[in-house]
Formats: sequence, structure tokens, C-alpha cells
Amino acid sequence: MLRTIIRQELLAHLMSARFFAAVIITLLLVVANAVVLLEDYERRLDRYSHQENVHREKAQEAKTYSFLKLYVERSPNPLGLFSAGLDKRLGGTLEIYHGSVPMISNASARSLDNPFLNLFSKIDLVFIFQVVLSLIALLFAYDAIAGDREAGTLRLVVSHPVRRGSILLAKYISAMICLLLPVLMSLLMVLFLLSISGSIQLSGQDFVRIGGIVLTTSVYLSVFYLIGLLISTTTRRTATSLMLCMFVWVVLVLVYPNWSRFTINPVGDTQAERTSTEEHVNQIWEEVDREEQRFVTNSPLEEDPPWFNLSYHEQGRSYGGGRQMLTSKVKEKSEHLVPHVQKYHEAMETLRIRLAEQTALIRKQSLDKTTLREARWHEHLMKLSPAGLYTFAASAWAGTDLDGMFDYVDAAQQYRRSLIDYLHEKNAFGSRQWFDTSKGEVDWWDLPQFRFERANVWENATRAFPELFLLLLINTVLFTVAFLLFVKIEV
Amino acid sequence: MILHIIKRELFDHINSLRFVLTTVILLILMSTNAFVHLRTHPEKVRKYSNNVTKSLDDLKSRTELYTLIRKGPGNLYKSPASLSFIADGDDAYLPRNIYSPGSWSRSGFGSRVRSNWWLSYGSVNPDAKDLRPHATKIDWVFITIYLLSLIPLLFTFDSFSGERERGTLRLCLANPISRPILLVGKFLGTLIAVLIPFVFAVLLNLAVISADSWTQLSAMDWGRLGVILLIAVSYAGIFIGLGLMISAGTREPRLSLIVVLLIWVTVVVFVPSTLGTLSTKWMPPLQTNDQFQTAKKLAIDENNTDYNEQIKATKEKKLSGAQSKLQQLAKMPRENVSPEDIKAAQEEYNSVWQKDGNEELQIKSEFVKKDVEIRERFNRSHLDAQIAQIRRARAVTRFSPAAIVQYALESMAGTGFNRHLQFLDNVHLYKKQFRQFIVDTDRTDNESLHLIGIPEGMSKKAVTIEAVPKFEDKITFKDTFNAATLDLLLLVLLLVVFFSGAFLVFLRTEV
Repeated sequence: MLRTIIRQELLAHLMSARFFAAVIITLLLVVANAVVLLEDYERRLDRYSHQENVHREKAQEAKTYSFLKLYVERSPNPLGLFSAGLDKRLGGTLEIYHGSVPMISNASARSLDNPFLNLFSKIDLVFIFQVVLSLIALLFAYDAIAGDREAGTLRLVVSHPVRRGSILLAKYISAMICLLLPVLMSLLMVLFLLSISGSIQLSGQDFVRIGGIVLTTSVYLSVFYLIGLLISTTTRRTATSLMLCMFVWVVLVLVYPNWSRFTINPVGDTQAERTSTEEHVNQIWEEVDREEQRFVTNSPLEEDPPWFNLSYHEQGRSYGGGRQMLTSKVKEKSEHLVPHVQKYHEAMETLRIRLAEQTALIRKQSLDKTTLREARWHEHLMKLSPAGLYTFAASAWAGTDLDGMFDYVDAAQQYRRSLIDYLHEKNAFGSRQWFDTSKGEVDWWDLPQFRFERANVWENATRAFPELFLLLLINTVLFTVAFLLFVKIEV
Repeated sequence: MILHIIKRELFDHINSLRFVLTTVILLILMSTNAFVHLRTHPEKVRKYSNNVTKSLDDLKSRTELYTLIRKGPGNLYKSPASLSFIADGDDAYLPRNIYSPGSWSRSGFGSRVRSNWWLSYGSVNPDAKDLRPHATKIDWVFITIYLLSLIPLLFTFDSFSGERERGTLRLCLANPISRPILLVGKFLGTLIAVLIPFVFAVLLNLAVISADSWTQLSAMDWGRLGVILLIAVSYAGIFIGLGLMISAGTREPRLSLIVVLLIWVTVVVFVPSTLGTLSTKWMPPLQTNDQFQTAKKLAIDENNTDYNEQIKATKEKKLSGAQSKLQQLAKMPRENVSPEDIKAAQEEYNSVWQKDGNEELQIKSEFVKKDVEIRERFNRSHLDAQIAQIRRARAVTRFSPAAIVQYALESMAGTGFNRHLQFLDNVHLYKKQFRQFIVDTDRTDNESLHLIGIPEGMSKKAVTIEAVPKFEDKITFKDTFNAATLDLLLLVLLLVVFFSGAFLVFLRTEV
């Protein structure tokens, strides 16, 4: 019996103009935006590989150890096509240097060729589903019960030996099938476009991630269908049901996600915290000067560091972010002083590494209290709407969420540690090649390479799970309430 | 008769649930907008005035003509719009100021040159360090383009098809009412029904905002507000026309609903951003940042080499006299040469080497001027190309009335892209005035060599700071209105098109 009702409902939906219109409009929007997004991805990929080459060449140019300028770059995420998240917005270039631990706030972004293009916001595929398909889900649902009641067919159906629960279930299942069809069709179109362009190679794991996004989409759409069903069971007239549905949609999808961000400021002003951290960090760094003083008074070297009273054929120096990059050629007559200078650099750089790690802890704490806390709070607030839950679940699957960005920063920090290990292994800090090239330049052939692997699918799934679970919970509650109401109502 | 129809429509709407829901949501959004504005605007104004004072102080410390041309007028700031609660205009994505660029100095052949101030345009990317989720600010633009389109459509989608289904349309037309009258009556009735909650919400919003002492609205602001309200009304009118047209053209309200909603989603939510980025795909690609920087550097380097050659040639020509004298002295037998002669010859040589003559000064002045000219030319043409691209993209997005209204409201409120262009115009004008002032002041001093750009060539007299032109980022009502003219015209045109569309469709339908 259930099957008969499902078949009948399904046919009614599939033949309807609204299904046709839903498919057409979804496909149109998906294709138009996918073209834009694909091209954008290709451009970013080009820029990424160009930048990486530039960084590599720059690293090889260094003649002394101290002159090493190492940068890492975050590769664009192909799944950003589905859920842009933070992947495109956030800066992806980090400097790797033993005297500073890379943090997410250090990442810098290259500006667009036309920075005004930021005025047009780019739309990802998840946003299309979020807006268009939730609207269509409500349009499928608003007259599901109220319409039948108005037309009198509900009484007819109920008079058959069918349980009311089955009627509700049948309506739910058939509508969900109709809602998933446009999703799957647009997915096919996107995959087709991807295979034509050829610039994106999706791995097996990526397909699982896309599957996760589709799963989340269906759970999200089901929430909206059930909201519509609930409203439809409780109202007498379709017109009323429709208006309530539209109101709910406007509030949940259109207004609330934007409203919460600018209206509620849960963290308050964080400026004081930031300034105090800055002061604290500066205080810690003062130890470098003290240590330098102590060293100079106890050593036979005279005059100011880092050149002291040595004579040079040539000397070069460059500053950047608190670090000193030196290159020189020491004259023969100062040769006897070189070991002392080596000792100086070894002491200073080891101190720098220690202080960098110390300050990184403080910076991290402050970040947790300010920027990160703000971001998390706004996420939580947005998650009060199913649309917010859906957005964040999708970006967690795609790996473009905040956690995905932190994975990258962790990889960069890991790389810094392996760089330090490498320098220790070469005894670089205490070597004369730290600052001097008169006995040969540094050969970087075995410099460790940076590799960033995105989190695996399980990690993505666990990150998406809380949101997915909440969406499922909302589903169950809505379905139960709709069921209870439907059983009780008079037809 | 028409009044009767309007009244009936109006009562129908006002008694409906949708009217209540509309009122609730508009009131909530408008009051949030007002409170958020009151919370954030004073800070913006304070920051702006602090910045302006600081750059004025900078300017005051530059008392010599040469320091003025070397360091420039200081940072130039865009004034915050008092009506920014109406349209945020994505102002975060537009530079808020013109920074003074860096400087350089070159020395060689005994003379040193330092750069003069040139105009350079920064860019901003507020997203790069923002970990918070993306969101659109809820301003009047948001409320207007989303709600003043959706609400009219929801009010009208069943106005003909619903009546036809119930049979009341036939009844109504059986009376001696002409169809045009019925249409106009429905149009006006719905428009008034939509505008009642909107105007109510707007009044609440303005009451909250003008109650605060920080945000005093001037008479000009109220004038602009009038135009803004007219824009909102005609935008609502366009969608009422569209809704009536679709409603008259379809047989059942369910169908007209889905058609109306899908058109709405496409035109209002997606077209403005998608079409904007999509259109740039078919435009000739811009120079990349790297290409631009290399081209600029090439031109600058060429100018540098030219200068080097010129100054070298002049110096060598001048030195050759002293040099040959020295050589002669060296060739002569020792006892014939007095040490004084050698010393004098050497001093002559040194003084030629160290001191720049008129000719060198001229070359230096030319060089510095040309350097500024090259930098500004490149920066300007790069900026112009960027602006042209955005202009074209915006022209394409005007396919959607939502985009038109957004642009019109931004222009009227004094925010957004058009406002930024006005700011740049003001800056360019000011740059000319500033340079002209320096040249004119220099001309009044007879002791000066009138070689602009180098310390030796310019007047040494102290400048009266009051006489130096100050940057004022002002816009007149005429400017804002001019910027919005195209959009206003398009809106009126669309209103006419959709209304007559509804008219034609309704005339031809069978009831």
C-alpha cells in the first residue's frame, strides 16, 4: 500500500510544472556558477604553482644560512568549488623561519589583479542548493496536507485502510526523491564540466567527500521539507501555509545568517587583549638584547654586533620581521676572531628559537581569546539556523573550514621544526657559513621540502558530524511532531 | 470606481496573514539596521576626523616648498557617508584612503637626487585575515532588494489566477468595469499595501537614527532620502507589475507561484553576483600584477639610465677643462709647478665635481619630474583598466533590477563604487591644485631658479600654511544625482515595461 501511495505521489510531483522548473533553474544556476568557479580555480592553481616556483628559487639563492628566505604556499582546494569556505579568502603564504612560529594570523594573501572584483561575491554550489532547493522543498511541502484537505482528497485517502503514518511517510519519501534528483543531475553536470576542463583531478577520497556533501544536502533539504509539512498539517488553508513557509524561509535562509553576524557581538572589544599580548611579546623579545650585551662583555670581540671589529672584503645585511640576514667575506687578518662570532650567532639563534616558541604560546592563547573566539562564536550563532548548519557541515566535508586552515598552519609549523632539525644537523647556527661565504657558499640540495596533505576523509567526516547530527536531530523532531499532529487532526 | 477597487484590494491585503508577517519582518530588520548603525557609525566618524587631523599636522610641519613637493600632502582620506546605514556599499572592499608612497634617493657623479611625492592607489583585502564566516550587512539595500521584491510577488502571484480559480474575476468583470481600470486598481492597491509596512519600518528606523546626536542628518541628506524612497517605491512597483503579468498569464496560482519564485531567486539572488563575475570572463584580460610591476619598473629604469647618461655627459664635459689643466701640470717638470697651482687646479676640479651647475640642476629637475610622471601614468592606467572592467561588469549585471537598485541606492547614499570614483576624482583634482600651488608660489620668488623638484632650484621662503590647499572630500547633491541618473532612468523604464507587460497580458487573457 505504501508503495502505491509513493508511486502516485511521485508521479504527481514528477509531472508537475514545479518539478520541471526546479530542475531547469537549478541546472542553469549550477552550470553558470560552475563555469565561473572552475575558471577561478584554474587561475588560482596557476598562481599557486608560479608562486611556489618563485619561493623555491628564492630559497636556493641564499648564500649563507642566515639569508635563507623560505615561504610556503597553500594549494587551492578543488572542493572549494562546492563549498568555498575560507579556502579562497584567507591568505595562504607563510614565512618559515626558525625565529618565528607561523600562525594563522601571519598568513598573507596576494591581491587580485583587479581588487575591485571583490565587490562581486562569488557563489559556490552549496549556496545554490542552500537557497534554491530549500525554497523548492518548501514549495513541495506547503500544500502536501493542506492542499489535499482543501481539495477533499485527503478525506478520500484516509477513508481507505491506510495508516496515517504511511501517508505521511509516502509523501515524505516521494518529495525527497524529487528534491534529490536536481541535486544529482547538477552534480553530474559539474563532474562533466570538470572532466572537460581537465584541470581538476579528483581522487577517490574526494568522491567520498562529495558523497558526504550530497548526504548533508539531502538531510538539509529534508529539514525544510519537514518544516513545510509541519506547517501544512497545522494550517487549514494552503494560502496561509504558503505564507508561513515563505516567512520561515526568508528568516532562516536569507535574513538570520546575515543578521546574526552584524547584530550580535558576543565577544566584545578585544583591542585591550591584543595590545597587552603585543607588550608581553615585546618584553620577552627584550631578552635578546640582554643576552647580546652579556655575550659582548664576556667575549674578546669589540664594537657592535653583528659585525664587531672584524674587517671584511664585503658585507651585506637585510632585515625582515625581526630577523637578521647576513652575508660577508671576512679578511684574512680577522680570521682568528671568526670562531667567536660563530659562537655569538649560535648563542643568539638558539635563544631566538626558544623565545619564538615561548611567544608562540602566548600568541596562540591571545588568538584563542580574540580572533578565534570571535570566529567560533559567529559560527555557533549562525548554526542556530539549519542553513548555517548546512554551510559549515559542507565546508567541513570539503576541508575549507577553519579546521582545514589550521591543518595547513600545523603543517607549516611542522615544516619549521624539520627546518630547524635540518639546520641543527648541518650545525648551521654555529658554522661560519651562517654569515660568511669566504670559505664557500651553502648548498641547499638536501633542504627538506614542504608537503601539505589535507585531512583524510575520516577526519572530514568527524568534523562534519556534529552539524550533521544536529540536522538529523532536527529532522527526527520535526517528523515526530508532524506525525503526531497529523494523526490527531480532523480531516 | 477605481477608488473602490483600490480600497477593496487594500482591505483584502491588510486583513491577510502576509501583511502581518511582512510588517513584523520589516520592522525587525529596519530597527536592527538603525541600532547597528548607531553602534558603529560614531567610531567611523571619530577615526576619520583623527586621521584627517593627523595628516593636517603632517602638512603643517612641511614649511618649505621643497618639503611639500618631496613629501606631498600626506594621507588623503575618504569621508564616511552619513547615510551609510542605507547602503553599506561593500565599503570594506574599497580603499578608504590614499597613502603617501615610499621614497627613494639616488646618488652618483657627485650629485644626489631624492624622489618627489607621487600619487599611488592602494588596495584592500579585509577578508585575508578574517576568520569569521562571510555575511552581508543588513542595510536598506538588503531589505529593499530582497524583501521589496519578494513581498510584492507574494502579494500578487494569485491576484488574477486565484480570482479566476475562484470565479470572482468573471464576476468582477461582469460589472461595468473596464479591464485597464481593474488592473490599475489592483496595482495601486497592492503598492499601497506593500508600502504601508515599509514606510512604517522606515519611519521607525529614521526616528531611532535621528534621535541620536552623533548622526545629524542635514537638509541634503533628507533630500537624498526622498529620492531613495522613490527608488524603493518604483522597485516594488516593478515586481508588482511582474507578479500581475505572470498571474494574468498562468491558469492556476500554484504554477504562477513557482514561476514567480524561481524568477525571483534567479534575478535577485544570483544574477547580480554571478553575471558580474561571469562577464569578466569574456572581457579582455587585465594585466596581471606582476606584468604591471615589471612594465613600470622597466620604464622607471629607462628614465634612470637616461638621467645617468645625461648627468655623466654634462659633468664630464665640465670636468674636462679642469682635468686637462691637471694633466698639463702633471706633464710639466716638477720645479716649474708651484704646489699652490696644483692645489688650485685640484680645488677647481673638486668644486666642479661636487657642486652642480645650472645645467645639472635642470637635468635633475627634469628627471625627478619625469619619474613622478612615469609612476603616476602607470598607476593611473592600471587603475583605469581595473575600473573599466568593473564598470562593464556592472553594466552587465544591470540586467537585474536588484543590481540597478543596489547601485542607485549606493550612489544616493554616497557609498560604494561610484562614491569611490568620486573620491578619486576629488583626489585627482586636489593633486593638480597642490602642484599648481607649488609652482605658483615658487614663481613669486625672484631669487628662485624655478626648477621644481630639487632643493637648490626652489624658493627657500617659508610657506604660509593657510595658503596651502587642503584636501576636502566633498560631494554635492548634483554629483550623487548624476551618478545615479542612469540607474534611475533604467528603473523608470523597467517600471513602464513591466506595467505595460501586465496590461497587455491581462487584456488578452480569457477569464
